[in-house]
Amino acid sequence: MSDVKKEFVQLLANYGHIGFTFVAAIVIGMGGGIYLDQKVFDGRTSPWFTFIGLAFGIAAGYKALFEVIWRDRKAEEKKAREKKDHEG
Amino acid sequence: MEHPILFISIILEKLGLPVPHGPVGHTFLEQLCAPYMTYTWLVMAFLFLVSRLTLGNLEMIPGKGQNFWELVIGGMDDFFTDNMGREMADKFFPMIATFALYIAVANLIGLIPGFMSPTSSLNTTLALTLIVWFSHHLIGFREHGLHYYKHFMGPVWWLVPLLLPIEIISNLARLLSLSIRLFGNIMAKETLLAILFMLAGGFFAPLPIMILGVLVSVVQAMVFVLLTVVYFSQAREHAH
Repeated sequence: MSDVKKEFVQLLANYGHIGFTFVAAIVIGMGGGIYLDQKVFDGRTSPWFTFIGLAFGIAAGYKALFEVIWRDRKAEEKKAREKKDHEG
Repeated sequence: MEHPILFISIILEKLGLPVPHGPVGHTFLEQLCAPYMTYTWLVMAFLFLVSRLTLGNLEMIPGKGQNFWELVIGGMDDFFTDNMGREMADKFFPMIATFALYIAVANLIGLIPGFMSPTSSLNTTLALTLIVWFSHHLIGFREHGLHYYKHFMGPVWWLVPLLLPIEIISNLARLLSLSIRLFGNIMAKETLLAILFMLAGGFFAPLPIMILGVLVSVVQAMVFVLLTVVYFSQAREHAH
């Protein structure tokens, strides 16, 4: 594989999973909320835990998104530092 | 939705073994003969035999076979070292490299008519994901002991009620997203190919999808491995 293609695949791998992780976090958060509402409290607390779970799910989705960005920034900083060391 | 023709299933049926017609069989033998199981064994046998036949004994001046493997293994080793450091890359190389080779071959095998990708069944991908998920927690516990819980607590104590559920949800989301992404992509590719074969196979309609299928297969194997590497290295890092 040429360098450009390799980089393309690596970029796809790096960012291609964001959408899915976001959705999975929301599904798990809301699913947990619905489970608490319907099964644990027998619908007495409905719809509060569903909303709380949804909020936490969305927050977890954003957290996963930011994690990718932070990881990227860290990697870039590391690369820049190495380049500096190399030159200096 | 299955492939129209799966040659291993046909051979097994001719031999008199029960091949399930639904997604999973009822008896133990039927479950063993399910297409995703038989094709998993085929991929395993393929990887074992090919590496056996091409490698032989290692030499200082590599021949054709050894050259190929040196390229593949060297490339993966560089990739792991970049992402999780020398020490961890050495420790977990056998496991993650096996995942990479297995998933890549299992994805690509579905492009050949008569074969099926074992990874287009949720059972296979969930099994792979569970291994990764449990081992990244195991790595965390072995590295930090009981202080591993600090990974889920956030930076300051008064944020704990807010951050603990978020961290737990995003950790469970890994389980879901890692398994369903691989399964969904490969299943979509397989289904699309099967439908196009049936509709307009004579006019080479599946060809463009096959080209995309090669890309999807490689990228999905790469995504799985990259995320595995990231999870492992995150479990070993110090908490915030």
